[in-house]
Amino acid sequence: MLTFALPLILLVATGLGKNSAVLGGPAFRISLALTVGLVSIGTVGYSLAIARDRDTGVFQRLRVTPAPSWTIMVSRWIVQLGAVLVMAIVVLVVAAVFVGITLRPQNYLFTVLIALLGSAVFLSIGQAIVGLIASADTLNAAGRLLYVPLIGLSLFGDSDRLGTTVELVSRWSPGGCLETLLSAAMGATAWSGQSWGALFASTGYTLLFAVIGIRWFQWGAR
Amino acid sequence: MTGLALQVRDLHVSYGPMRAVDGISLDINEGEIFGLLGPNGAGKTSTLSAIEGLLKPTSGSILIRQVDVRANPRKAKALIGVQLQSTSFQSELKISEIVKLYAGLYGVPLTKPAIFDSLAEIHLGDEASRRFSQLSGGQQKRLSLLIATIHDPPLVLLDEPTSGLDPQARRQLWDRIERIRKSGRSILLTTHSMEEAQSVCDRVAIMNRGKILTVDTPAGLIEKHKKDPNVLAVARGQVTLEDVFIGLTGRELRD
Repeated sequence: MLTFALPLILLVATGLGKNSAVLGGPAFRISLALTVGLVSIGTVGYSLAIARDRDTGVFQRLRVTPAPSWTIMVSRWIVQLGAVLVMAIVVLVVAAVFVGITLRPQNYLFTVLIALLGSAVFLSIGQAIVGLIASADTLNAAGRLLYVPLIGLSLFGDSDRLGTTVELVSRWSPGGCLETLLSAAMGATAWSGQSWGALFASTGYTLLFAVIGIRWFQWGAR
Repeated sequence: MTGLALQVRDLHVSYGPMRAVDGISLDINEGEIFGLLGPNGAGKTSTLSAIEGLLKPTSGSILIRQVDVRANPRKAKALIGVQLQSTSFQSELKISEIVKLYAGLYGVPLTKPAIFDSLAEIHLGDEASRRFSQLSGGQQKRLSLLIATIHDPPLVLLDEPTSGLDPQARRQLWDRIERIRKSGRSILLTTHSMEEAQSVCDRVAIMNRGKILTVDTPAGLIEKHKKDPNVLAVARGQVTLEDVFIGLTGRELRD
């Protein structure tokens, strides 16, 4: 529901009435839909799936096989990246066919690549959450609590309506950086120094949260 | 009995300041069923976890058919089949897909008919397209045991394999464990059931507070300890294996 329906609802709803003009243009609508999908997959879906498998002993069962531990986790990441790819394609197709927002071919490719990069950011945040929080129930609640600010912050990176401090924090938040990159990927803004900054910040977020998630991750329920 | 399937020497496992396993040594012969008995918290599961490579021992050595578990964990894991105390499999997979996945992890290519044959052998042929969570407790244990032996390992580790099963399911599982032994494999199992230890195990070790207190055949343990004052104090008539167990490990409740 969160992964596919919510991005599509947002894609359509942000174009209704006066919303479109207030929130941003077509590129903003697509990038918001993609950001919501990525946060849903990485921060909520992935971390919860990992926590549940840990609680029920699925990981311990896999770890007594000769399969190296890293392959167990990489296989999960591949599944999530597959989900991101499908979600991004669905959003772009719906945007083109049903909402009338089209991009140039190279921008489609670039947008999907940036979506995959964004998924690394949010998967690593999910990994950090599942590393720091032991119980699946607590993690479910924490994931949902984080969901709102992660998406909320991505809304105001290009707007000073809530003040310049909020704008600054928003712009350099994980969601804000992704918005900046997606905007450039779709050709709505030129690739600039800010785009490079967002790329470096996203890479930094990925490394930071991945290190936290791997350092404190436990395979078995505590 | 031709050699040792498992050799554990001076094994120590600690969780912070707490010593879960405190210098145990044991040998399991090829084709032998060896039982680890002990109250809750005695160190049985920690011992098994160290052998399975799930936790790192503080010190000591574990050799599975002369393969060092700590030096060659992947090679050692290929030599063991494991049924964990509480196991679950991927909820999104069907039973037949779970069998295929785990066979693949051990490098055993199974065709579709072979998967269905192996499921039929444990009376799960009709359940192939169901999920693990949809199976009864007995069916789940049978599937876990099938997966533990899917690669024909020389040593099978079973952590309380019959806990929570009704008498019929328990007997069926004992028969299956006996068949595994008859195929030449060794089995190390933990249990709280004295009946299981007596019915299934060739030799039994009684553990308490991380140490092995005694090792022998079930009948040998009774013979060895039947005059122990602590055992006699808890016996109600003829000394049983349970009297020996309680006499040696104490009457107090463990959590």
